[in-house]
Amino acid sequence: MTLLDFARGPALQWSIIIFAVGTLIRLFGAAFMLRNKVLSKPRKSDWVRGGFRTILTRTLPAPVFEKRIRFQHYAGYIWHIGFFITLLFFQLHILFFKGLFGISWPGLPNDVIMVTGAITAAVLVALLVRRMTNPVLRIISTIDDYISWLVTLAPIITGMMAYAHMGFRYETMLAIHLLSVAVLLVWIPFGKLIHIFLVFPSRYQQGAKFERRGVRA
Amino acid sequence: MSMDKPMQEAFAMFYGMAQNLKDLATPVEMPDEERVSRAKQAFLSKLDADMAVDLETCINCGMCAEACHFYIGTEDPKYTPIRKLDLMKRVYRRDLSPMRWLHRLYTKDITAKELEDWQELVYDSCTVCGRCSLMCPMGIHIAEMVAVNRQVLAEAGLIPDELRVMQEGQLEKGTIFEAGPELLEFRINDLKERLGIDIPINKPGSDIMVLTSGLDIHLFYDALAGTAKVLNHLGVSWALCTHGYEAANFGLLSGDEDTQHVATMKIIDTAIECGVKIVITPECGHSFPSLRWEGAEIYGKPLPFDVMSISEYLGRQVMDGKLKLKKAAEKKVVALHDPCKIGRWGGTFEEPRAIIDALGLELHETESNREYNFCCGGGAGVFLINRAAPLRQKAYEVKMGEIKDTGAESLVVSCGSCRMNFETGKIKSNDTIPVDSLVALVAENLAS
Repeated sequence: MTLLDFARGPALQWSIIIFAVGTLIRLFGAAFMLRNKVLSKPRKSDWVRGGFRTILTRTLPAPVFEKRIRFQHYAGYIWHIGFFITLLFFQLHILFFKGLFGISWPGLPNDVIMVTGAITAAVLVALLVRRMTNPVLRIISTIDDYISWLVTLAPIITGMMAYAHMGFRYETMLAIHLLSVAVLLVWIPFGKLIHIFLVFPSRYQQGAKFERRGVRA
Repeated sequence: MSMDKPMQEAFAMFYGMAQNLKDLATPVEMPDEERVSRAKQAFLSKLDADMAVDLETCINCGMCAEACHFYIGTEDPKYTPIRKLDLMKRVYRRDLSPMRWLHRLYTKDITAKELEDWQELVYDSCTVCGRCSLMCPMGIHIAEMVAVNRQVLAEAGLIPDELRVMQEGQLEKGTIFEAGPELLEFRINDLKERLGIDIPINKPGSDIMVLTSGLDIHLFYDALAGTAKVLNHLGVSWALCTHGYEAANFGLLSGDEDTQHVATMKIIDTAIECGVKIVITPECGHSFPSLRWEGAEIYGKPLPFDVMSISEYLGRQVMDGKLKLKKAAEKKVVALHDPCKIGRWGGTFEEPRAIIDALGLELHETESNREYNFCCGGGAGVFLINRAAPLRQKAYEVKMGEIKDTGAESLVVSCGSCRMNFETGKIKSNDTIPVDSLVALVAENLAS
């Protein structure tokens, strides 16, 4: 079995299994703990709507907050969007998904993807520098933050290197790229990347709690 | 009205009394191992699914710091709100998280030294104002969990001395600042003699039970007098009950749940015994959520009466056209402070604005207003902690900066401890803006 066969085969398969099982354990393990029934009379009874509203509205900070978090907020958006553009609209990725799921969609020109990937990587590097130098981020950062950063950046860098025929020969770089994706998938249930799922219930909870009190959160 | 001469004198005396609270405290002796074990047990018994989801979701972005008046005022990263949950996060990760078998490998256990250090973080430098919760892009309710951290430190015998003296006093006597029934009676007679205001006491069959607080009995009697004057003017059936009138809850503020329970049940029992339909909390911020939201949880079922803060009640009367007020001859520019516990934690925003409008005053909103309002810097009992004075002054300056930017000639407030913090902050920063009680303003301007 070549490295590429291993990466494409067992590595990817096992990483998907670990990702799926681990994520379910983490999500349900937390969400199904006990919670008390709220007994006070609500000011507004439609708190479910308030919860869903906060899921949407918290996507943007309130204007009074925005000016204090501008760089971090927009940098965060840029790399998240860049990451998903390269993941979903790179033509080779679309071919890969077609092989897996049998469906495909139009892609973007390769040059656009490369520029997007480069911007995404650059923003991630800038955010790492910020994490290591900003006093607030330094004091609250844990090993999880650095591992999560690394496993997020690695697929972007290795993918761009494989496409540009940099580093090892193409098959090896492709294998390394696939392995980096496997590592990313494996890490999701264990570190802070789990927020890709939990951000929604967490925002909902807060929105619903404030709505009961008549406050738009 | 702003503070007149007698109130200024009372303020000086009261401030002196508050400064000496610490001297009355007896130390809580507890071995380190017991502190840690009690704290861990408390964390584990209080962590629920909502908190677990929140703790699992944090991405350590640190944006919450930019919402916190203590961080903005000091720029000291240790006051980052999410960091205040660090011990809670660690106990959760090591002992409760679905991934605890992994997290245990690299997550340090909490220590007695850390618990002691946390006193400053969850008491001195957090007024549980909740602004950080609204900033969090993940929707983590940080402030709610800081309040739980106070309960944990209370279990570990680490309530700051001043709050412990208040808590123990309220548990023992049912009142605060020694404002027992005799002092209340004195104040009621005083208001009758000086201002001709009648306060009905223990009147059977009343629809409304009004609460007051030691702070208003001692110092801000204009708020108590104003409440009585307006309710008498409205002609509603109301009374103050001498066996359950203290609205403040130092159990809630200190984190001591037994005291919180006793103080809350005293009000609930009195209200049920008197058969009232509405209980009105005074201009005392935390007393509102303490009864309105937490009361039912302590009682074990929905409360058989409504709970309103005085600003909410009077605002509704104005909005419904039942209370007419004299409009000011000249349009005076005022700013409004939404007390965190009545606004962000209570949902009362439009009622005080309706009153200000009815008074013919021109409201200039602070840049952060309504649910995004900055705290005065002294809420949740912080105004009583001596060593927190420099910290809360920094937070006060953040707030006062926004107030000054409005160009207002005076500030309207409907919370006694906010007033107290503004008055002391003004002295230290040489600010002169008058601070008025909302209810006292209403009382001064009743239209016949």
